[in-house]
Amino acid sequence: MTAQAVIQVFILVLILAGGILAVWLRDLLAAVIALAGASLLVSLEFYILQAPDVAIAEAGIGAALTTAIYVIALRRTRRKEKE
Amino acid sequence: MKKAVVFSAFLFVAAFLILAGAQMRPFGAPTSPLMDDYFINHAQAEVSANNVVTSIVFDYRGFDTLGEATVLFSAVVGVLALFRKLREDER
Amino acid sequence: MNGEMSVIVRTITRFVYGLIVVFGFYVIMHGHLTPGGGFQGGAVVATAFALLIVAFGAAGLKGKLNDHLLQSLEEVGALAFLVLGFIGIGTAFFYNIIANSGAVFGSPTPIGPNPGFLNTGGTLPWMNWAVGLKVMTGLASVVLVMLVGAREEEET
Repeated sequence: MTAQAVIQVFILVLILAGGILAVWLRDLLAAVIALAGASLLVSLEFYILQAPDVAIAEAGIGAALTTAIYVIALRRTRRKEKE
Repeated sequence: MKKAVVFSAFLFVAAFLILAGAQMRPFGAPTSPLMDDYFINHAQAEVSANNVVTSIVFDYRGFDTLGEATVLFSAVVGVLALFRKLREDER
Repeated sequence: MNGEMSVIVRTITRFVYGLIVVFGFYVIMHGHLTPGGGFQGGAVVATAFALLIVAFGAAGLKGKLNDHLLQSLEEVGALAFLVLGFIGIGTAFFYNIIANSGAVFGSPTPIGPNPGFLNTGGTLPWMNWAVGLKVMTGLASVVLVMLVGAREEEET
């Protein structure tokens, strides 16, 4: 395995961990932050796969704007998920 | 009963995903090299732009971008309609 | 609560806001030469608007960021994109009729690797600006209207 493949597998494992955390966490604000981190790592993975167009769009939409909209929506609803 | 249905659905989807993953193309292999070669060789002469991705998105596949713009437009209009009503109620 | 964040956030926002906007407009303007384009640059500028809205609050921006103006600009961008698609209807829908014609943005580009020239691309730069205007104002108005709606709901 080359060094690039090792980096890619590492990033993919971190994306998986972020996704699982976003589902598993009961605190919805923390889940939103985990989703934003996974989105940022997806953008990094797109950049490594030589798709900078998609990387810019993913970093702008997925990591910043979606997080802002989720946080604004969380202000009006409950922060904790119902058991 | 409900648990059995959920478990069987999980098994079905997992088997489907594993089967699809086993039959995937090699990592990074393009689907249709013929089409790619045409775009890479002719985009600069036909569209006169250096960025082949943008020339595909806005020229060769412009209709696709129109659909994306429509999706964004309807999403924005939906959000505005929802919150406009909420503001009208309070006056 | 008046919707403003702390003085640290507001000061950093004042520094960073202009840089993000300039980078977004650079991505839109060079969409036919470098990676990026209208959608990506518009998303970057909308991120700057969202930062401004979140840092100063909807009340602190009253009169500076008008949501009616933003929605009108979004519709102007959508209509401009549609009109630019209809320009080449004589040959085909979305036909690039300005390319290689000598008009604005119409000079031919050299074949092969080159540094890129701004005055090329035909309808591509115009479409980039239309889609960029549409995306930046649309996303900014979504964030602004959601924040204002949430605030007004909170106060009652």
